[in-house]
Formats: sequence, structure tokens, C-alpha cells
Amino acid sequence: MRQSFDFPADTSVLAKIGELATETGRAAGFNDNEINDINLAVSEVCTNTITHGLKNDPTRTFQLVIQWNTGEIEIFIHEAGEPFDPPDLKDPDLEASLEDRPVRGLGLYLLRNLMDEADYRVGRDGVKTWRMLKRKAEA
Amino acid sequence: MKITESVKDNVSQVYIKGRFDAHTCETVDAYIREKMEKGRHQFVLNMEKVPFIDSAGLRVVLVIARDLRGEYQGDLRFAILQPAVNKVFEISGLNNVLRIFDDAETAAQSFSE
Repeated sequence: MRQSFDFPADTSVLAKIGELATETGRAAGFNDNEINDINLAVSEVCTNTITHGLKNDPTRTFQLVIQWNTGEIEIFIHEAGEPFDPPDLKDPDLEASLEDRPVRGLGLYLLRNLMDEADYRVGRDGVKTWRMLKRKAEA
Repeated sequence: MKITESVKDNVSQVYIKGRFDAHTCETVDAYIREKMEKGRHQFVLNMEKVPFIDSAGLRVVLVIARDLRGEYQGDLRFAILQPAVNKVFEISGLNNVLRIFDDAETAAQSFSE
């Protein structure tokens, strides 16, 4: 199964995207805990796309593609916004005290922890794509 | 996002309802900072009705707690995290630096210890 949606670069769409991720995750047979992981991961990437890639400009859009089979969901977010280089972002120091705790880099850290696969590429046409995949844990 | 507040013994209980994400976190930030400017520095954020938090929400509470502790000898403490929210606090390690309680009453009383 495959669904595709276009959204404006406005954080008000995040709740709707969360609903879509929840509905699709349920259809693919994931449990509530796994659906929460998917919901958060897709929200983090869409927030990044909206705020950094498309500069919160609601006249610009990005594409969300969700495809799934039983026990597996794969999500793509395509956008033609500003360049972004995620490999430059290091994992945040989770042992740091509150005073020294970095406030950036947490979103991608969560993404990598919640999904089985997450990667990012820039196509020849300049369109940037995040891809993430989650498989249902063995019962 | 809906926010309400009740104050007892100088501790502000802030109840938020709804997703705490990149779209709504600024509302929470502005609400608490307005109270801070008016002299309130002890907060309990009641998260019973918050089914979802993302890294933008985490950043907001982290920076508020840091400001309250560093500048006002106050704190932002947490009550009743839903399982999905608790998991995000744990993965991000914030449960090690923020004070989280199972119920709002205990969270409020912790300020008198």
C-alpha cells in the first residue's frame, strides 16, 4: 500500500501528519509503542524540513510518502529547500548536566533511535529526501 | 493546545492539554515565561493530558528549567508523564537532569523539602 500527500511548510500540519502515521502504523500491524516511535520520527523529520529546509514558508510545500506492508512501514519526505548536512550533527551528550546539556541535535538522535533505518540523500535534481523504515519487532 | 494554571503555596501547577510539538511549544514557553516575569519561579508541569512530545518540546522545558535553576533558584518539575512521553524523556536522557513525579501533589510538595 502506498499513500502520498503534499503539505505546506507550516508546523500546524504536524498534528495531521501524526494522525496519518498513527493510522498507517495501525494498518501495518504495529503496536501502540511502535506507532508512537513512528509518529515521533516522522514528526521530527517534517519539523526539520519545515523549519530548516523550507524556512517556515507556507507557500512552499513538501511531499510525504508512506508505504507499508504488514509489519513494515517506509516513509519518505521529499523537499527542494535549503541544503542540510546531517552527518555533521553529532549525537548529543546525554550524560551532560542540565547546565551543559546541548539543545540541538536531539531530533535526529531520536530519529536514529526510534527507526530501524534512517537516511538522507540529495538527488541530481536538488530534491532532498529523508527515508526511514521500521519493522515490527518479532513477537 | 490548552493551558491552565492553579497556584498553591507559591507553586504554580501548569496543566497542558494536547500535543507538545514544534507547533505548540512556543505557546507553553510564552505562558511560563510570562509567569516568571511576574515573579513565579516554582512550576509543576502537569503532563497527564499530553500524549506526545517532540524534541522542540524537550528543548523548551530544558531551557526553562535551566533558566529557573540558574537565575532564580527555582525549578520546572514534571508530573504524570504518559508512557509515550516518558519514553522520549528516557531516550533523550532528560529524566536524569529533570525531576519527574508520578503525581502532581508530590511534585508540588517537593518544593518544600
